[in-house]
Amino acid sequence: MNINGIHRRNKSTKGQQAASVHEGARFPRLTADLDQTLEQIDMELGHSPDLKIRQVKIGSKQPIQAAAIHLNGLVNTETVNEFVIGSLLGITDDMLQNISATEDLKDYIFNRALELGEAQLLQDWKEVMLAILSGNTVIVIEGFDTAILCETEGGEARSVTEPTTQLVVRGPKDSFVESVATNISLIRRRIKSSKLRLEHLKIGKVTHTHVALMYIKDNADEKLVEEVRKRLSQINVDAILESGYIEELIQDKTFTPFPTINNSERPDVAATNLLEGRVVIIIDGTPFVLILPAVFTLFFQSPSDYAQRFDITILMRLVRYISFIVLILGPSVYIALTTYHYEMIPTTLLINLLAQRENVPFPAFVEALLMEGAFEIIREAGVRMPRAVGQTVSVVGALILGQAVVEAGIITPVMVIVVALTGIASFAVPAYNMAISGRIIRFLFLVLAGMFGFYGITLGLIVLVAHMNSLRSFGVPYLSPIVPLSSHGQKDAILRLPLWALNTKQASTKHGGISEGKKISTGHEQNLSPEIFKKTEGPDQAKKGMQDAE
Amino acid sequence: MGNIKIGLLQFFTLTVLFELGTALVVNLGMESDKDAWISILLGNLMGLIVFAGYAYLYKKFPNLPLTAYIRQLFGKYVGSVISIAYIVLFLNLAGRDLRDGGSMLVMATMHRTPLFIISMLMILSSAYVLHKGVEVLTRTSLVFAVLVILIGLFCSSMLMFSGSINLNRLLPVFENGINPVLSSVLHQNYMFPFGEMICFTMLMPYLNNVKKGPWVIAAGMFVSGILLSLTMVLNISVLGTDIVKRSPLPLMPTISKISISDFIQRVDILIVMVLIIGVFFKLSVFFAAALIGISELFKIPYRRMVYPVALIILFSSILNARSFTEHIEEGGKLLYTVFPFFMVLIPLLLIIITAIRSHSSPPRSG
Repeated sequence: MNINGIHRRNKSTKGQQAASVHEGARFPRLTADLDQTLEQIDMELGHSPDLKIRQVKIGSKQPIQAAAIHLNGLVNTETVNEFVIGSLLGITDDMLQNISATEDLKDYIFNRALELGEAQLLQDWKEVMLAILSGNTVIVIEGFDTAILCETEGGEARSVTEPTTQLVVRGPKDSFVESVATNISLIRRRIKSSKLRLEHLKIGKVTHTHVALMYIKDNADEKLVEEVRKRLSQINVDAILESGYIEELIQDKTFTPFPTINNSERPDVAATNLLEGRVVIIIDGTPFVLILPAVFTLFFQSPSDYAQRFDITILMRLVRYISFIVLILGPSVYIALTTYHYEMIPTTLLINLLAQRENVPFPAFVEALLMEGAFEIIREAGVRMPRAVGQTVSVVGALILGQAVVEAGIITPVMVIVVALTGIASFAVPAYNMAISGRIIRFLFLVLAGMFGFYGITLGLIVLVAHMNSLRSFGVPYLSPIVPLSSHGQKDAILRLPLWALNTKQASTKHGGISEGKKISTGHEQNLSPEIFKKTEGPDQAKKGMQDAE
Repeated sequence: MGNIKIGLLQFFTLTVLFELGTALVVNLGMESDKDAWISILLGNLMGLIVFAGYAYLYKKFPNLPLTAYIRQLFGKYVGSVISIAYIVLFLNLAGRDLRDGGSMLVMATMHRTPLFIISMLMILSSAYVLHKGVEVLTRTSLVFAVLVILIGLFCSSMLMFSGSINLNRLLPVFENGINPVLSSVLHQNYMFPFGEMICFTMLMPYLNNVKKGPWVIAAGMFVSGILLSLTMVLNISVLGTDIVKRSPLPLMPTISKISISDFIQRVDILIVMVLIIGVFFKLSVFFAAALIGISELFKIPYRRMVYPVALIILFSSILNARSFTEHIEEGGKLLYTVFPFFMVLIPLLLIIITAIRSHSSPPRSG
């Protein structure tokens, strides 16, 4: 399905593509003429004032003209001054005379003079431009059609701070930042294994965003990694500015409220998921990394689950699932009870409710819709509110709206309680994207309950579960390990058993014959291994994800 | 339909939900008064024997649905006619089930909602699920079977706690001799709901285990037979024979006897949920059987026919009877006139032909 989306985008960017091809044809390679090269670079960047060209002369007897080119602000100025320019100017005549027969000047600089950890020889024009735009310094020497790339990426970046969205009571306090290199180092520091694999890609026709793919060899299924690689390479858009762009382009199915790829800004979460055999995608420019494949239960796990004792964790997880159910069904069950099935409510409470409803002109359904709508508005406003006026929202929203609406006789107090409860419940779900999907579904159930009472709710639930059953995240059934049921998968899905019971994975993934619903490996591996759904679905279906084959 | 294979557990739960379906809430086998539970058990045994025949056919043709091997055995033309008859049967059964479910819901809770609207919502959700595929249906059945069993456990334990169960109401066993029991079994119980398993012959090619598959389905039938019988025991021991016999949905008044400290009371909405779930899955299985038959016989892609067939079922459910009484009456007649023909006679013929064929021409080795 995503492939179609890419094709569509493909068409829209065709003009752009043609233009860049044309430019490439004009200067496919560097020329040996220094002045011409410099002029071309300057022109290509539109005489940009932040382009810094430092011309130097190498040697004093027969000085050779050379230039170091970089963009101001993207480089680490100290590195450029000290190591690039310093190395070039440090070359004396003695040294130049000692150049052996097999080397020329550029090889000499590259091999011996340059005091930098990473350098590269470039000939392609596009690569040179990309290097300059990425914050590297390029050395061009008169008489050579090869440039030397010096790794000098730097400039201002945010330092590692505490996570702002995914907080825990107990656990590590660092979070990802906008730089890929820093993010990779944060993960590498946690997993000191040679099996941790890293692959680099550049995605985006205009942005050339740096994307890193990480997985642990042997833990992650080879087919899964291959599939991720394939889908990433199929992306053909102009810009990637956030992980959400990539998430939308590579997910299995687009028409669903449920997220099928998880994200996190916590390195410990990324590390845990890597160890469980998932793939992590890090995107330059955003602190949120993608974790896939993600099944339903994954969105209800919090990193602090493993910091607490297992019995406490089980309780916490159950609370999260219950709050998700409250979020989806809270107002609709209330509507169904008060409009269709009031005989279920204990008599004294029923009298109370009816007494309240006497002064309210609207049916419960309209009441709920009004209140839920108002609540969504307050929440959306609160997200964008500047900190200085943030208090106003809570005062207006909570006190004035909540209190006054009851006193004015528009909404019953019980409805305010129900709406407030669902609002709070939506924050008990650890994953923000899962909470949002719950909020959308809640409105559908609201309508069903308003029209059909419990009949609508029950049918809605059946359709909802069927919909979730039809979803797949990179081939893994979305509701696994609940459906298809695997007893081993239960160890860390809804419940969490003590760590000693979880820690038996390698042996069984290797030898356990995976047969549907029976002997499936422990922990999360079976959530991931496409072997399971191969058993249930057949090999052809595995890659296509859904039953599109029909 | 490709090579979808469905796990054993999912098939088990689908069987259980299919069997419980509407049978759980109606007064099943009440021809034999307080021995209804015995006639259900006997019906279950007979149903299992009939199912053994289907299982035999499945073992002979593990990759073909009923309509396909009918044509293999009866020849192209006769076979096609019989296949179409089966498809019509499945459509009719689905329509009858939809009518059953809708009418019961109108009776139980939705007094003022038009039957047509209720049926439409039901068939639309069923069509959506089947549009996603048979596999999704079976997987969904797993979740809801657990829900139904939890509700059952909750309700029966609550009944026990409220002290409304009086097992003496079941005595004496065989008050009028064994004849009413047997006649009820022959008239009704081996067909409804156990004979309806014929539609599983259309789904069984999706089983991922030829050897264990039929056993798992048989186990599902057995378990649901026991559950139905237990429910009848519960009904009779709580309400007494008289009320059960007169009530169209005896489980509802039974459950409404639950009252615990004035807080947990009138939980009949849970039973309505069970009814909705049961009707949904039963209807969907018939629906799926008809769809598979159509796509197999006419070589039409399965998905293209989902919504047209849904319309057929919806209108046949509304038009096949003018009132619920007529509908029930008609159903009772069908149970011992038309259904045995399709569910016992033709399969028996098929078995005989298969047996003779495999006997007279033993398979060549290799």
